[in-house]
Amino acid sequence: MKVEIVLHRDGEDRPVTYEYQPREEGERPMVLDLLLQAQTSEILDLSYRYGCRNRACGLCTVDVNGRPRLSCRARVKEGDSISAQGTLPVLRDMIGRRDGIARQLRGHLPNAILANDLNVAAGDDFHALTACIDCYACLHDCPMHARNFRDGEEQRDDGNAYRWGNPFSLLKLQRLRLDPLASESDRVGALETARELGLDACVDCPGCKCGIGIDLKGKVIAPLLEQL
Amino acid sequence: MAIETQWHDYDVVVIGSGGAGSAAAHAAAESGARVLVVSKDPIGCSDTKISEGIITLRGSAEDADTRQVLSDNLRVAGADLPDPEITDAFAADSRDAYDWIRRQGLRPDIDEERGGPQTVPVAFGGHTHRRSVVHRNSGVAFSHAHWNAVVQGAGIDYLEDTWVLDLVTVDDGDPCVAGAVIYDAGHGELLAIRAPSVVIASGGLGTMYFPKTDTMRGNTGDSYALALRAGADLVDMEQVQFLPFCITYPPSYEGLIASEPGVAGYLGVLRDAEGKLLLDGLMLRTRAECAAAMVRAVNEGRGTERGGCYLDLTANVAAPRSGPYFEVFLNTTLSKVMGTVRQAMGRKATKCQEWWEVRPSAHYCMGGVRVGPDAAAKTDEDRAAVRGLFSAGQAMGGVFGANRLGSTALSENAVFGIRAGHGAAAVAKASKPADDAVFTPLLDGYRGLFGQGSADAPACLVRELQEACWEHIGPARTRSGLETMLTKIAELRRRCSEATVSCEGVWNQSFIDRVELASMLDTAEAVARAALTREDSLGAHVRLDGGQTSLLWSRPWSAVVRRDAADGWGVVKAPRKGTPFLQLLAYLYRDRKRKVALRLLRSLPLRWRDAVIEGRYRATMGPLKSGDEKVAEAQVAEA
Repeated sequence: MKVEIVLHRDGEDRPVTYEYQPREEGERPMVLDLLLQAQTSEILDLSYRYGCRNRACGLCTVDVNGRPRLSCRARVKEGDSISAQGTLPVLRDMIGRRDGIARQLRGHLPNAILANDLNVAAGDDFHALTACIDCYACLHDCPMHARNFRDGEEQRDDGNAYRWGNPFSLLKLQRLRLDPLASESDRVGALETARELGLDACVDCPGCKCGIGIDLKGKVIAPLLEQL
Repeated sequence: MAIETQWHDYDVVVIGSGGAGSAAAHAAAESGARVLVVSKDPIGCSDTKISEGIITLRGSAEDADTRQVLSDNLRVAGADLPDPEITDAFAADSRDAYDWIRRQGLRPDIDEERGGPQTVPVAFGGHTHRRSVVHRNSGVAFSHAHWNAVVQGAGIDYLEDTWVLDLVTVDDGDPCVAGAVIYDAGHGELLAIRAPSVVIASGGLGTMYFPKTDTMRGNTGDSYALALRAGADLVDMEQVQFLPFCITYPPSYEGLIASEPGVAGYLGVLRDAEGKLLLDGLMLRTRAECAAAMVRAVNEGRGTERGGCYLDLTANVAAPRSGPYFEVFLNTTLSKVMGTVRQAMGRKATKCQEWWEVRPSAHYCMGGVRVGPDAAAKTDEDRAAVRGLFSAGQAMGGVFGANRLGSTALSENAVFGIRAGHGAAAVAKASKPADDAVFTPLLDGYRGLFGQGSADAPACLVRELQEACWEHIGPARTRSGLETMLTKIAELRRRCSEATVSCEGVWNQSFIDRVELASMLDTAEAVARAALTREDSLGAHVRLDGGQTSLLWSRPWSAVVRRDAADGWGVVKAPRKGTPFLQLLAYLYRDRKRKVALRLLRSLPLRWRDAVIEGRYRATMGPLKSGDEKVAEAQVAEA
């Protein structure tokens, strides 16, 4: 099986062809299996992120034919093209600079919940959002995140945080709003942060897609837009 | 291109951003320290995140579960290797530590009757009481909380994509921490951090056994290697926990967890390749007992082609009345795992209608940095410990000894993370900065690696080491195998020093592989040397060429490994306080009684057996409503 791996070195994309050697007849390998094999056979200094091989850590997202996939659970096919996530600046090969995403929430969520009684159950909607594994697949086609790259210049503040938001950040904010132990001012603050991050970009957007199947449009974007 | 060095000052450097590191950072900042969290992976992407999300909460189901009971339970289950002061600390803090995680946003389901978190319906294997709390979305639910503690921590700075290369220490007869040298891959720089306290919370060593592990890739033994090289003691390093029931096939899923002894149900058993009974009463057994039985069977030629055995859960579901309870119990307790099982082995396996081929996988290192109950580095009385060095989570030793009970690691993180954070902040207040000159040799050494060597690729050497680790310091060991391992390590050290490292600054993969290989070599050597010292089997350490250490008739000791100034290795036996004979006898009697009772239950005619088991499930789970099985199954599908 021949596959294209788009290396990224010295600031340039360098596509190479790699032929996967199946470990058994009829094997249907994952993208990660291919990267692991390439690293010890032909591309000995190949860079890629992975963690658990089990769809839980959110580290191994790459683009397969231009769409974000978790490489540990994406089957690879003849002729596929594997590259770094196109939504983040590439450091090397499959490694994107992720840091600016989470950093934009610094100081915008509570440092600790101060409620007296912690024994209050959260609702199903709260738990649905806690399933997020920060794979950042949701940045794909996000018009709010794209604002960070308008006019060819990355929009980051002094602390390296992106100026404009994304579905991941909105999810964290909406999750706080659904937390039964959050205070009223926490909830109001979360909405204010969503506005500052550019929630208006969601108004005409057909909706984002989650890498592990959370209903982002229905459970994150719609409830926030209702408050706009 | 020359690699630049940036200098910074902090009170406390925390290595790792998972369950332990986040707690340490938060606690240190709360005590007024300026904190830097250094993480190879993005914040919170740790073993905690990919865990089952089940935590030990003392007294969550039974009032009889006192501090003393839990402390004794940990110590005896760990074959008396745990430090009693440390298990006491664990038992004392487990409830407050859990509340700390909740204040960061963890939300368990609530048992309205007891007014607290809902507890799993059985006592997990080796636990004397029911005290394990399960969470929706498993470990990911915890990771949101730990992420919050770091990213939202006032007084905390953090760096991702950064590798701590070495701690810097000063030794004028009183060794102490002066800081750390770091590679910032994202910016292609070395960082020299002046800091009087460091908390090592960078997890375990599972990657040494890849692909036969279910842990995060980043577990390259950094915690242990950094501590060793800084002059600290390691303890119990031969005690590497292998999770018994892990997937053997297909290759993409190899090594991942399939099940746990504690959820094998009243009727789950292990069988050899021919289907003969290997071990019964699984639900009452520890991970170590199950894994040991499996590797011994494989060694005797009774294993499957892939070196595994069969986990047979079929009897649990075959019973008409209790079967549905078991299905709900299994699918709700291990929802994420069951999702993986379904993908790897198919629906029939998920319904427990066929046997699962399973094999042990590296999961957790019970050994680690030798610390006291305050999580500060500790050594023999006639020696001076490294001041300012702290450790928590999987990195530390002394909590679990020869076996760790399921669900205890997530508590360990917060309990000792918080203690380490407070301790580190206190030391920082009383310290003066060291001379920058002490950083020079390390900085020069690491800078010199860029563009050096022209032999093996470090990534290929890593793979060679991983194969050797599984074979020689894996779940089955012999003296000759351990000696072969030491020879192999010496060879790989030589090749590592000549390995190819490019001169790239930003994200230099060969440099990263090179330094992780060096950590794995140091840690593998510590495991091998400790394992050579313990000539009989005990807990997770299985010696095929030795006897079995009797808990009743032997005096417990821990293997302490250190590196001496002359770059030699030292291994000493540190005596441990044994549990009083009668108490131990009572514990073993109770354990045996429960296992015999379970065996009797299994031999009852189906109808009686079914009724008894149904009654037990009902007592803890409440009556099953129609449709509960579907709900539980849907949860698995979602996972």
